Formats: sequence, structure tokens, C-alpha cells
Amino acid sequence: MSDEPLLEVENLRTTFDTDQGELIAVDGIDFSIEQGETVCIVGESGSGKTVATESITRIVPIPPGEVDGSVRFKGQGLQSIDDEALRDIRGDQIAHIFQNPQEAMNHVYTIGWQIVEGLKIHQDVTDEEARAKAVELLDRVGIANASARFNDYPHEFSGGQKQRAMIAMALATDPDLLIADEPTTALDVTVQAQILDLLNELQDEFGMSILLVTHDLGVVAQIADRVIVMYSGKVMERGDVYQIFEEPAHPYTQALMKCLPEFGGNAGGIQGTLPDPTDPPDGCRFAPRCEHAASDCTVGDQPAEIEIEPGHLASCIYYQQGYDSSVVQNDDLGTNANERTEAADD
Amino acid sequence: MGLGRYVALRVAWAAAVSMIIVTIAFLLISFSPNPEIQDAVRSASLQGENPAEARERIKELRGLDQPLHERYLDFMQNVYTLEWGWSDSRNQPVEEALLESVYYTAQYSIPWTILTVLIGPLVGLYSAANMYSWKDHAATGFAFAGWAMPNFFFAIILLLVFGIWLEWIPITYNTDAAVFSLENARQLFFPVFVLVTGSIAATMRVARNESAEFINADFMKTAKAKGVSPFRAYAYHVMRPTLVPLSTTLVGQLLAVFLGSSLLVEFVFSIPGLGRTTFDALVAQDTNLVLGSVLIFTFIGVVGNLLEDLVFTVLDPRISYDDR
Ligand code: SF4
Repeated sequence: MSDEPLLEVENLRTTFDTDQGELIAVDGIDFSIEQGETVCIVGESGSGKTVATESITRIVPIPPGEVDGSVRFKGQGLQSIDDEALRDIRGDQIAHIFQNPQEAMNHVYTIGWQIVEGLKIHQDVTDEEARAKAVELLDRVGIANASARFNDYPHEFSGGQKQRAMIAMALATDPDLLIADEPTTALDVTVQAQILDLLNELQDEFGMSILLVTHDLGVVAQIADRVIVMYSGKVMERGDVYQIFEEPAHPYTQALMKCLPEFGGNAGGIQGTLPDPTDPPDGCRFAPRCEHAASDCTVGDQPAEIEIEPGHLASCIYYQQGYDSSVVQNDDLGTNANERTEAADD
Repeated sequence: MGLGRYVALRVAWAAAVSMIIVTIAFLLISFSPNPEIQDAVRSASLQGENPAEARERIKELRGLDQPLHERYLDFMQNVYTLEWGWSDSRNQPVEEALLESVYYTAQYSIPWTILTVLIGPLVGLYSAANMYSWKDHAATGFAFAGWAMPNFFFAIILLLVFGIWLEWIPITYNTDAAVFSLENARQLFFPVFVLVTGSIAATMRVARNESAEFINADFMKTAKAKGVSPFRAYAYHVMRPTLVPLSTTLVGQLLAVFLGSSLLVEFVFSIPGLGRTTFDALVAQDTNLVLGSVLIFTFIGVVGNLLEDLVFTVLDPRISYDDR
């Protein structure tokens, strides 16, 4: 195992068969995650970011869904292996936690039972060993009096505690990759910060990579190493967290930034709505809402991603040869965003 | 409050309910005209005797001259010591007559219950797993056809077609057939079939709708992400929570069909079970036997309700016993 990334996704395309026709949730995206790295996929809801992460281990419902493209995990191609082999990886080397901890656990089983279930599927352990491990994990994620609370049912846990238990469940098998889908969205603001801190701590301790999906740039600032901005099933911009916050290059990223309270933005988000995923517009997906949109923006396919600086890419025609990139670059966001990133780093 | 205490309280409540029903039965009988006394009075006057004297004599003989509360205590004691009196029409003690009937009723009720409990939830789950496909529609359609057809009518049609025209099954019920014999299986097949089709629709509908909800629940995604196999996911993560609401439907449906239809089915297939016995006792004005049948049905209803509640409480961890 050398320079190869832990996870490498190429031309991932996930579509669903619906009554309105083929719904393209993820439209040919590439990304990779290095060992021990935290990558955030950010975008509005409906941008395809959740489906993208669920396509990695194919936990999206198939059918009606269909996943194409190449997914390589530790050098192994996941797109071609059968369901049983995939199940061995799910919950063992690649673990998931989800948005709504209230619904993510089965209400008729105890917290302990649900942690042990995953553990026993993947490891040859006795009941006592599994129990001991689960109690240890619950304790580690900050559940007080863990051995007594092992026997509690989900409804006896608060939302934050449930998300902690979900994290314990995910970590039971010491995964290499933790996929966290909006893990803090359903929680109170104070609890959100605690969960993110916990994830940061655990990452150092367990050395896993994290792929985190969120619509919240505040979360991104707190946890990300690298950022992928998604819109309508396509990648708009990618870069490390400083590049994205200090020099957001893509008009969509800039629009997201402007919605942050620091810029006097309202929580209502960007004007307009996402395009219909069964009938995406020609050219740049963001054109109907983009203030810089030119006539060239609405022909062909999504503009190719152009490297602005090493590791920082944007999919916007203004970065192509023959266009004046200053039109979209000279936005007054940079400095303020800079402060924000620094504040979040503390 | 712990589970044990809840169960104890619930059982005590069931006992109280059955006591109230027995009391009501007693009061109804005490205040309704007694055919035996009327007979005695009539025959006395025909033979020129004093009707009033005859009335007193028969009352004394039957203990009816006692004050109401003493007769009530006697009655209750007899009910709970299973001395339910003499059946005039069958010339045997009531409890014996009822036991014989229950023997025949059980022979079709037990297979019927087992089949309903097995088939209903599984077909529902199958439908939910294949929701809106032709398999779902076929299963749902079949279940509803069985439900929509009146059991009584269905039984007659089956008997007509398979008993009289095709002569595949006997049209008379042979009480001598051994319980576990081919002959018995043949004569019980259609009664069981009719009842299963009648009771399965509601069970299956509830199983289908509830499990559909759980199949699409977030925790199924969690299970999938944990590496749980589809079979295990259905068995543990869908079926188990479905059993909570389903248990209520199952018991309720079985009771409803039992009280409503099994009597008619017994009648059509001439099975000398509880329903038949009750009907015959009513026609013959055999008060003791009617009362005994009523007590049996009451008992089944009360126990059924008790089971329904207990199973539901045990199955759903979210129910706090304090709230009930
Ligand atoms: S390509 Fe055109 S529409 Fe798309 S972001 Fe750039 S300027 Fe806006």
C-alpha cells in the first residue's frame, strides 16, 4: 500500500427510475480520500451529496436506483464485487452514521443489542466479548454509566446520546472510513459542536478517514481538511478548506458563503431552486441562478473543472482559456471568510 | 411499575371483567320467566291441582325460594367450581356437553389459528417487500377476496362444489374419525380453509402496511450499512417491530372470526362443536346449556383480550407500564 488513496471514486453516476423518467442524482463525479483525511461534501439539500456517499457501498435502494462508475477502496474495485462481499465491507471497513439519530435505530432493540449486532456480523467474538467492547465504546463516546445504559432502548436516549451511540456502533469494528451524513443537522447547536469535537478526537485516536456530508459551511470549517462543493449531481468546486473559505472560486460557492450570517445572509439560502434532476439544464447546472451567467454557460455540458491552483479546481467557464476570470474571482468574500476559518480552527 | 406487577394487575382486571359478565348473566336469568316453572304450573292446572302450590313446590325444588343474594353466591360458587348444572336436552351435565363440543371446535380452531398466525404476517411482509408489483397485487387481491366473501356463503359454495358435485369431500361430518387421520384432515380442510381466508385479510393488510413503513425506515439503512443480510434485516428489523401492532390485530381478528363465523361454518359443515351446541341449546330452551355456552364464549373473549394486551406490552419496549 503506497500512494494509493484509501478511496478513489471515478465517474460515479447514480440514477433512479421514477415515474417522471430517469432521475440523475449523481452525474459523473470523481473524488478521492486519503488515509486519515476528512473530506466534506457540501451543497444544498437535493444536490446529490447523500446519494453520492451511499453509492460507495451501494446502500442506496437498487432498484430503482442504478450505480455506475468506478469505486476503488484500498485498491479493490467495489463496483464489480457481489453483494455478499460488499456486506463484509459495509459496517466493517466502511461505516456509516446518518442524519437523524431518532430514526436511525430500531426502537424495539436495546442500544447494546444494536451495537453488538454489527460487531458479531463482522468479528468472531463471544457474547461477553461483544458486550464488553460495546460498553467500552459507549463509554468512549461519552455515554455516562455505559454498562447500565447498554440495556436501554433508543427512546431512553436523548438525540445527542443516540448520535453518540451511532458513532460507537460505527466504530465497533475499527473502520478505515467513516461516512457521516449530516451527523449534526438534527441536533441542538451545543450538541452539534460536541459531536464534531468527538469526531475530531476519535479520528486522531482511530486514524480513520472521514467523509462528511453537510449543507452547513460552519460544520465544514470545523472539521474538513478538503472540501467538495456539489450542485445538482455535479462537482462545482473542490480544494482544501483554506482555499475554499479564503478564495471561493465558483459563483455557487460564493453564493453559499453569502448566506452565512457573517455576511448578513439570511437563512433562506440562495434565491431560486435547484434544477429538476429528471431534466437538468444544458451547460452549467447553476446557470439559472448564477448572477454571472453568460450565454456560453447554457450550452454543452457542465464546464470542465479547471485547476486554479494546486488542488483547487472549479467548474466554471470563466476559468477557461479566453475568459476573464476576474469577473467571478474578485468577490469581497475572501478576507471575512479568512477570519471565519481561523476562528473555527481554535 | 415492573412488568410482573403490570401482568398481575391486568390478570386481576380480566378476572373482574369475567365476574361482572357472569353476574349480568345471573341477573338476566333470575328476572326472566323460567320455562320449567311455567311447565309445572301448566301441568298442575291441567290436572286440577293448585297452580300456586305447584309453583312453590318447583321453586323449592330448584332452590328458587332462597333470597336473591344467597342464590347469587350459590351460582357464583357453581360457576367457579365448574358445576354448571344439568342439560335437559343432552341428558348430561353441562360441563360435559361443552367439553365434548370444545373437542370438535378445537380440531378446526387450532389449525386455523396456527395457519393464520403463520400465513398472514408472512404474506403481508412479502407484499410489502414487493410493494406495488404484481406479486403484491396478487397477494392483496387474494386476501381481500377471502375477506369480502361471507364465510357462511363461501362454505356453502365449497360444500356444494367439492362435496356434492365433485364428491371430493364428505358432506357429513364423521365424529368417529380419529383426530390425526386422513379422513379427519379431509373433512376439516374446507372449514379451516374458509376461516383462514376470512381471518387472513386484516392480518395481512396490517402486516403489509406496518412492515412497509419499517422497510423504508432509516434504521433499515443503518442495518444495511452495518452489513446485515437482507434475510436478517427482514426477520429482525422489519418483522419484529411489525409484530407489535400486528399482535393486536391478530388476536382481535381471530376472536372476531371465531365469535362471528365459526358457528355458521360449524352449521354448514355439521360439526358438532360449540356453535352447534349453543344453537341447539337455544332451540331446545335448555337454559343451563345456553348459560354454559355463554360463559365459555365470555371466557374466550376475556382471555383473548388479556393476551392481546400482554403480548403488546411485552413486545413494545416504548410502553411504560406506569401509563397504563
Ligand atoms: S459557468 Fe456560468 S453559470 Fe456556471 S457558475 Fe460559471 S458563470 Fe455561473
